[in-house]
Amino acid sequence: MRDTSRLEGHGGSPPRLRIFLLGLGALVASLALAACGGDDEVGGGSDQEVEVAKPGPVNGDLNISTWVGYIDKGEGNTISEFEAEYPGTTVNYNEDVNDNVEFFGKLQPQLQEGQSGGRDIFVVTDWMAKQMYDLGYLQEIDLADLPNVEANLRDDLREPPFDPERKFSVPWQSGLAGMIVNKKLAPDITSVNDLFDPKYKGKVTVFTEMRDVVPLMLLADGIDPEEATKEEWLEQIDQLEEAANSGQLRRFTGNDYIQDLTNENVVASIAWSGDIALVDNADAEFVMPDEGCTLWSDNMVIPAGAPNTAAALAWMDFVYDPNIQADIAEFVNYVTPVQGVQEILTQRDPELGNNQLIFPDEQFTENCVAQVDPPGEQADVDEVTERFQEVVTG
Amino acid sequence: MTGVRRRLAPYGLLGPGAIWLALFFVIPMYFMGELALREGTFTEGFRSAFEISNFSDSLSGNTEQLLRSFWYAGAATVIALLIAYPLAYAIALRAGRWKLLLLFAVIAPFFTTYLIRTIAWKTILADESPLLDVLHFLSLVPDDGRVLATSGAVIAGLTYNFLPFMILPIYASLERLDTSLIEAGKDLYASATQTFLRVTLPISMPGIVAGVLLTFIPAVGDYVNAELLGGTGTSMIGNVIQSLYLEQRNYPEAAALSFVMMAAILAVVLIYLRVAGTGAFMGEEEERR
Amino acid sequence: MMEAATATARTGPALPARAWRWLRRNALLIFAGLAVLYMLVPILVIAAFSFDSGNAQGELDFAFNAFTFEYWRNAFGNPDVNDSMIKSLQLASLSMVVSTAIGTLMALALVRHQFFGRRATNLLIILPMATPEIVIGAALLSMFITYNLDLGLTTLFIAHVMFSISFVVVIVRSRLIGFDRSIEEAAADLGSPPLTTFRTVTLPLLAPGIVAAALLAFALSIDDFVISNFNSGTTVTFPLYIFGASLRGIPIQVNVLATMLFAVTVIAIALVLWQQRRAEQMAAVRPDV
Repeated sequence: MRDTSRLEGHGGSPPRLRIFLLGLGALVASLALAACGGDDEVGGGSDQEVEVAKPGPVNGDLNISTWVGYIDKGEGNTISEFEAEYPGTTVNYNEDVNDNVEFFGKLQPQLQEGQSGGRDIFVVTDWMAKQMYDLGYLQEIDLADLPNVEANLRDDLREPPFDPERKFSVPWQSGLAGMIVNKKLAPDITSVNDLFDPKYKGKVTVFTEMRDVVPLMLLADGIDPEEATKEEWLEQIDQLEEAANSGQLRRFTGNDYIQDLTNENVVASIAWSGDIALVDNADAEFVMPDEGCTLWSDNMVIPAGAPNTAAALAWMDFVYDPNIQADIAEFVNYVTPVQGVQEILTQRDPELGNNQLIFPDEQFTENCVAQVDPPGEQADVDEVTERFQEVVTG
Repeated sequence: MTGVRRRLAPYGLLGPGAIWLALFFVIPMYFMGELALREGTFTEGFRSAFEISNFSDSLSGNTEQLLRSFWYAGAATVIALLIAYPLAYAIALRAGRWKLLLLFAVIAPFFTTYLIRTIAWKTILADESPLLDVLHFLSLVPDDGRVLATSGAVIAGLTYNFLPFMILPIYASLERLDTSLIEAGKDLYASATQTFLRVTLPISMPGIVAGVLLTFIPAVGDYVNAELLGGTGTSMIGNVIQSLYLEQRNYPEAAALSFVMMAAILAVVLIYLRVAGTGAFMGEEEERR
Repeated sequence: MMEAATATARTGPALPARAWRWLRRNALLIFAGLAVLYMLVPILVIAAFSFDSGNAQGELDFAFNAFTFEYWRNAFGNPDVNDSMIKSLQLASLSMVVSTAIGTLMALALVRHQFFGRRATNLLIILPMATPEIVIGAALLSMFITYNLDLGLTTLFIAHVMFSISFVVVIVRSRLIGFDRSIEEAAADLGSPPLTTFRTVTLPLLAPGIVAAALLAFALSIDDFVISNFNSGTTVTFPLYIFGASLRGIPIQVNVLATMLFAVTVIAIALVLWQQRRAEQMAAVRPDV
């Protein structure tokens, strides 16, 4: 039997007082610890100096963070060709970007400290590249180190508004945001407004990417996104909220809409042009909305603190060789930023040369506009962004 | 062992654990509190401040999701209880030689990752799946309706994932039931229902209370089920906090909302314990044995 | 017609009535069986889909394509999956060892000693179990952010040990409470110093509880998603990999590995139970000491 006499209290202060004293002690200890460390400011930009990415001998690991479906796979793919060209290198190709905001949020604490999370290259959309640069999270790139890029970059991409001197970004692929529609189950969807047709309730999705969704909706209502006012943006977001609450919209997605389209949980969605190559459903097609599309680019950027800038620069230059790029373009079906690819692909297969998704002609994109930010000052942009996030989170 | 060493012994044993918990549980809570009081924006930086309004702002801005979380978690808890109690009763008192096997089968799902289990439900509940065909046929789901990406799917996921937490405590308390008490009830001419209500139920009450708490509390803050099985308008408070922290980077609001959520859970739990009776949960009853 | 009636009169009530009686008597067990089936359905789905051929990229697309052994033969063919699994196993093993050690010491202190701060320590142990994971994850992140710490395996390790300690304490404590100390006292009477008694008597008798706690700590760590999501930076554990993959396409190898993990744990537990049963049988056969 247990000797219970030892279990009697030592007498003295009542239990409640003890707990209070202990709690007080813990609080004091915490305050002490907090005082001897910790930042006065959290968030905001990095206060490190902006460096220029240094070239050098190419070997070791190259870590890339990018979107899904952006590179050719299988025999003789680009990664294996790069590794053959530069023996001793290993390319770790991580398809872990599902959405710009999500990716940024995940990495932000490290980026602020000048750490890249082990990555040498991020592939992010124009506006996110600019945001990262403004916050001091990126290294600058000297085009003199990238002869292929200098020679072959498409002229219309040399001086984009967000990076007029191409100081910190090199386009990876461009694309169109339009719709992917299951022609068998939703034959009459030709405009973004058709997505709100109650006939397709619960079978429609849109992106979490504000700069694709809202401009498309503005276009569908006949408003030029570049001229739209903040109120018009907010109005569209209100419409979006209504559709979300009524169950018209099934979900807000990033790349994960592809699976829903494949197994027909979803019959139509706002979509990125090249993703049609990933949807494993014979009835699905990329549809250019009647009113036009948005144009965007995803860019390779080098984060501050990247461990292997030499390999990063080599990779950027490598993929701008038209022969290498041709393989990528053929596989991913996005708009290639490299000149000279159209000729190569036309030789392989004339139809490829005319593929509107890879080489859109003037007519195809006549109503398309470039991605735009919400109008106004930073505070206005924040207001619209916050409102959109609210609706998207549900 | 001398008197002093004996006095100090428990602190030595306690030391590592208490320090670890203090450093990595208590202090982070303090930091979260400090973060909740800051003001500013992400691009400018969040400065130390005393912005108490963050708490009320986060509550008023997210009341819908908070209430929805309680509704989903509550529904899941009730359904889990209705499934778990008969199951636990059957295993504890009626299973005989199958007891161990059934118990095993109940715990087994635990051994696949939480995420994979939930993703499996995505396959089972997909719009074109055989299960949906059956449900359409039985008119349990309208012909143009779906289960996935609705609140029903989220509640179903929550129920499923937390069922073992409900079953095990109830099983544990039922297992200690002295069957002679039930026989005594019969001897005294009580009906089966009366025996159940007067003998079995009260004795298993601590198990029920533990099970309800172990299910409800984590369910309210759940993130995965709403994310994978939900659609628009089904997000729970956990999803909002995640979004605020990792996507919108609005750290003060995220931290404030976390505290608000904990306070709300605490309030509900205290009310529940007052109604159901406490003591058993703190385990003091056991130690006096 | 008459013959049928007489036939029934001779053999007892009609078949439907008999069936109904049998149903009522075994209703509980039938319900239990159905409930257990419900709990196992996702496991069956996961295992079944490990034999799926998947889509063109060898990924799950939520509908069965073709039966194949390919991914079982090539279970470790996907380097990303393997890396994440290895990280998870490393993390879980380390976390298991440290948290079990710390937790066992704490349990010993709490059960066997009376000291100032006992109630408070009790509270400190229960709080993490009662706090939703999202709050723990967010709070830890708040602290790591404020101190500008590097997120990765270290921060994950800290977090995993932290939330495992409470569970270890609870399990070992319940084992300690039913502990017969007369054996220890006998050893002391025979001149054994306290540390030796602890090592040769207490620890072996505590072993089942400690092992159970260790297994639980391992399971909690390898399964953890929410807390890891907040504090992992770019490190990818198995659950984190699965979540990311669920957004773009889950390789079938994930199903294969999950089924393997499940089978291994099931077999391990079965062995432990079988071993225990044998030990009990042998103890029953041995003459009383």
